[in-house]
Amino acid sequence: MSLRRTVRFILSLNSIAQIDVSYNGNPLDLQFQLHRHVATMSELIEERALAKPVSRKLRLDLLMQRIVLVAVFVGVWWLASLSVPHYILPGPARVWEALQLIVRNGDLWSNLGITFWRVTIGFVFATLVGLPFGIVLGANKRAGDFFEPVIPVLNTVSSAIWAIFAIIWFGISNATTIFVVFMTAMPLIITNVWQGTRTVNADFIELSQVLRMPDWKVMTKIYLPTILPYFFSGARLAFGFGWRVSLVAETIGSSSGVGYRLRQAADLIRTDQVFAWTLTLVLMMATIEMGILKPLENYLFRWKKDAEAQ
Amino acid sequence: MDGVTREIPSDAARGSFAIRLDGISKNFANAGEPLEVLKNINLTVAEQAIVGLLGASGSGKSTLLNIISGILKPDRGRVCLCGAASEEFNDWCAIGYMFQDDRLLPWRTAIRNVEFALEAGSLPKTERARRSREALELVDLSRFEEAFPYQLSGGMRSRVALARSLVTEPRILLMDEPFSRLDAQTRTLMHTELLRIHQLKRMTVVFVTHDVAEAVVLADQVAVMSPRPGTIREVVEIALSRPRDATQPEVTSYIQRLRALI
Repeated sequence: MSLRRTVRFILSLNSIAQIDVSYNGNPLDLQFQLHRHVATMSELIEERALAKPVSRKLRLDLLMQRIVLVAVFVGVWWLASLSVPHYILPGPARVWEALQLIVRNGDLWSNLGITFWRVTIGFVFATLVGLPFGIVLGANKRAGDFFEPVIPVLNTVSSAIWAIFAIIWFGISNATTIFVVFMTAMPLIITNVWQGTRTVNADFIELSQVLRMPDWKVMTKIYLPTILPYFFSGARLAFGFGWRVSLVAETIGSSSGVGYRLRQAADLIRTDQVFAWTLTLVLMMATIEMGILKPLENYLFRWKKDAEAQ
Repeated sequence: MDGVTREIPSDAARGSFAIRLDGISKNFANAGEPLEVLKNINLTVAEQAIVGLLGASGSGKSTLLNIISGILKPDRGRVCLCGAASEEFNDWCAIGYMFQDDRLLPWRTAIRNVEFALEAGSLPKTERARRSREALELVDLSRFEEAFPYQLSGGMRSRVALARSLVTEPRILLMDEPFSRLDAQTRTLMHTELLRIHQLKRMTVVFVTHDVAEAVVLADQVAVMSPRPGTIREVVEIALSRPRDATQPEVTSYIQRLRALI
């Protein structure tokens, strides 16, 4: 900072921090004054950091922007649909009708429900396996070195290949979709938890040793909180991937679920229904993301320094 | 000297001591070669005394502190804490430890960080919260109970760490260069804070430092250590009244004397 800017900054403190700053033209004098007040200043800044900056106007602005974005999207879609046959690109009105149809005859909820259930089961299994495995691999160097090549291999195998295997092994059943979701989500969770375990701060372990803390408490009070952000981002990724691959699995290995309905609609060239299903999926994912995961993340990791605020 | 010397509780006068080290030696294996870190250390710390371990880096002062705290076992020699041999000593709550850095858990608020020190034991949650609130009050941070570490300044974080090491009501407080990462002004504030709390709680304090002025300002006795192998060269009594200021001539003369010893 140049001297002039420093002086201007210090003089501006007069108003916010009730600090007596006088500037008699001698910068050395000023520096001395600032020195005396360092403690007060830092305390003041801390207090301001504690107050949450809530700006309703800013939020409202953002909401308006989102609405405009959706309107533009629908407008472009409608314009494009005018010049194309409806089985190639159905217009918004047509898709809306199709959507109402599947809502009314109960197709929507039953199929969304069954797909959601399969994804969740696969995801829960992936967590049950991935979390302990990730911790063991991260905490035990020998095990980590031994299994290291397995994770990239698992990650490179396409979900479509898992789907084909699943059909061979499980046939047309729930297990097929669950298996595919499991095989996709599990390596993601392991990788993230593994990484998280390696970031556990040795200083904190030493602290707990000084306090004579038993091992299981070190696990729950140091390891788990350190891993949680990594697990969370892994789980979030895994859940999103799970949804996508569940559709792949359902199109070829199921007789119910959103994926199955999508393929059925495509086979019958009911493009409006394909659009309707797609739309519901997008809406559902957005709801889960913005309604559950994002607020949960904000709450769980409120202790992290906000990059924007700094 | 200004004559008003503070009475130093000495071993001989009171017949009781908080810490006694008899012939402590410690070797570390350094790339196959044994490295003699500590050699035949003898030191007695009277109850309620403030003792500084002063020395250049590599003189084994942190190792010595870790041996007192029980994290490290000495190769030879005996550690007696509160009249009991270290092996039989099991009241580790009586020992507080403050690290060089504050080591606050970033995911816990100030008060929950203080509580952490009590969570090794089996105190009920309400009791833990009550004591932690008291400890934060002691370091004058009541208003910041619910603040996360990233919201606090370096000095405040240091005070939370101090509250955490005091919340177990230790009879011995061990400090490993506790204020070395703070700026000069904040460090001076923390010195005053520590001495104020010492007046209140009367615990024994052993601190490690390489800052001669810090040693003279805080300690009743300064054990000057010399490196390779780590030995205690001399124990200097600081017979000065408090508060001490590093600019006072008496303090300066002590500082010069200790500088010459290192």
